[in-house]
Amino acid sequence: MFLAWNELKKNKLRFVLIIGVLMLVAYLVFFLSGLANGLASLNREAVDKWDASAIVLTEESDKSLLQSTMSIDEMDAIQAGETAVIGQINAIAQTGDKKANVSIFGIEKDEFIMPDIIEGEEFSAANEVVAADALKEEGFGLGDKLTLSSTDETLTIVGFTAEARFNAAPVLYGDLATFRRIKFGDAAEANGDQINGIIVRSNSLSNLAGNEELEVIESETFIENLPGYTEQSLTLNFMIYFLFIISSVIVAIFLYVLTVQKISMFGVMKAQGIPSGYLARSVIAQTFILAAVGVIVGFILTLLSGAFLPSAIPVAFDILTMIIYGFVLIVVAILGAVFSVLTIVKIDPLKAIGG
Amino acid sequence: MAILEMKQVKKTYGSGHKMVEALKETDFRADKGELIAVIGPSGSGKSTFLTIAGGLLSPTSGEIWINKQDLSGLNEKQRSKIRLKEIGFILQASNLVPFLTMENQLNLLDKVKKGNMARNERMQLFEDLGISDLRNKYPADLSGGERQRVAIAKAIYSNPSIILADEPTASLDSDRAYEVMELLKSETKNKNTTTIVVTHDIRLIHYCDKVYRMTDGVLVLDKE
Ligand SMILES: Nc1ncnc2c1ncn2[C@@H]1O[C@H](COP(=O)(O)OP(=O)(O)OP(=O)(O)O)[C@@H](O)[C@H]1O
Ligand SMILES: [Mg+2]
Repeated sequence: MFLAWNELKKNKLRFVLIIGVLMLVAYLVFFLSGLANGLASLNREAVDKWDASAIVLTEESDKSLLQSTMSIDEMDAIQAGETAVIGQINAIAQTGDKKANVSIFGIEKDEFIMPDIIEGEEFSAANEVVAADALKEEGFGLGDKLTLSSTDETLTIVGFTAEARFNAAPVLYGDLATFRRIKFGDAAEANGDQINGIIVRSNSLSNLAGNEELEVIESETFIENLPGYTEQSLTLNFMIYFLFIISSVIVAIFLYVLTVQKISMFGVMKAQGIPSGYLARSVIAQTFILAAVGVIVGFILTLLSGAFLPSAIPVAFDILTMIIYGFVLIVVAILGAVFSVLTIVKIDPLKAIGG
Repeated sequence: MAILEMKQVKKTYGSGHKMVEALKETDFRADKGELIAVIGPSGSGKSTFLTIAGGLLSPTSGEIWINKQDLSGLNEKQRSKIRLKEIGFILQASNLVPFLTMENQLNLLDKVKKGNMARNERMQLFEDLGISDLRNKYPADLSGGERQRVAIAKAIYSNPSIILADEPTASLDSDRAYEVMELLKSETKNKNTTTIVVTHDIRLIHYCDKVYRMTDGVLVLDKE
């Protein structure tokens, strides 16, 4: 620590530059993790909101809520602690010149997936809906009459709920009758028992479904099968993993260049009998200081810039993930220093001092 | 009592027709309390002799005993330990760490070794070498002579049993050079250690108990 610290003090500029580079790498990692997290919640918020253990869909729907259709009577055969039915359809909602892609959920008001209202009130009359607060940010308000792309029905926003997006589209919650009128139009009466899926809360998921044609899908599996979800998160996570590798290589190169420059100095100290182990520890300590400072500054900068970002950019920082990534960055930087340590161990003191 | 003993030590560089016999077969011994000078022309093998004596360079053949330990069978790590404990080097090239202040050059030794000089001894050493005012300066901010004196302070500071000095007075004016020799002499006598000084400057040799002359790798006793 003594050597490491004194050298940092003496060569401030050099080390500030290295810290700067590490900071930028950390910034990028944190930002990407925020983006990955934000994009993920864009897709899954509404599902997380259910706080359910699984969803029951038809086998042939291939884990897609939209493609699954069943009769509400299927619910009777399901042996679970709590159940909730859901009907779902996508639409474009418009009021005035504002347009938005929305996902419409038809639900039963007294079942557990009924969302908490943060503004306004629950839907009660026909064609009343509770909207995701994301719509509010886009300029929609209480009392807005929404025309829909696929039907003549108009919906009225009577309340808002927080964090309710499904597959990137803000959700409109209404009752099952409203949902059926939108989906089936004039044939709504004839399809009076149609729903898309049954959401369950249960401790045990085995032999839940009473019917061969139904499939019980755990919530996490269901989310992973949302269109584009897995592809997106894989892409971003790969970028993050590559950044880890890149930052380790950058640190390795920087420290190696620094070490090579100091070979004669290390030689002098080794000639004096100062153990290689002491010198190696000092390089490691130095790397730790550089990486830790870089990561911490990057961390603060990320949170600062996150606060000033327009809401259209879907970043959501998860502090725990960031702390883990920060640790990984520091560990990876120290791995990069191992190269330099090997060099130091190999220095022949005599050659180094040119005696 | 012999603190340093070399038996049939030889050093050759390179091989074939490029081979240089830098040190021919040499027997040498230094006792406690002795201040020894090695003189000789440039390229004659003085530095080679000194670095072998200090365990920095392995001889081609022969044995070196430092304080009753045979260096021959030791690896670099073990030799490094002996250097730290027994030897104070004052090298021909600068041997200061560029990013440490004068004071910290010595503090570094405190980090890795016990038995260095006490606080007041250290102050006295700085005083004797005329470098008390330079304590918080970096090597780059010093003159060549000042740097040399700090290097001397560093070598003496760890209370080694052998001080090996390669041209310690090269960049000093004669008054300073005499003072440095005085200092080395009093260290040697007071602490009953051994000092070997390689020098070009024959005016300094009357400080020494023995003078060896090196010519083309052959070491002969010149004056006792
Ligand atoms: N690493 C080396 N490889 C090959 N030859 C070397 C090496 N080091 C020294 N020599 C040769 O060995 C001989 C002795 O060199 P040495 O450095 O011991 O001389 P010196 O007496 O200390 O000279 P000076 O007074 O100039 O310092 C010289 O001829 C030199 O060229
Ligand atoms: Mg020499």
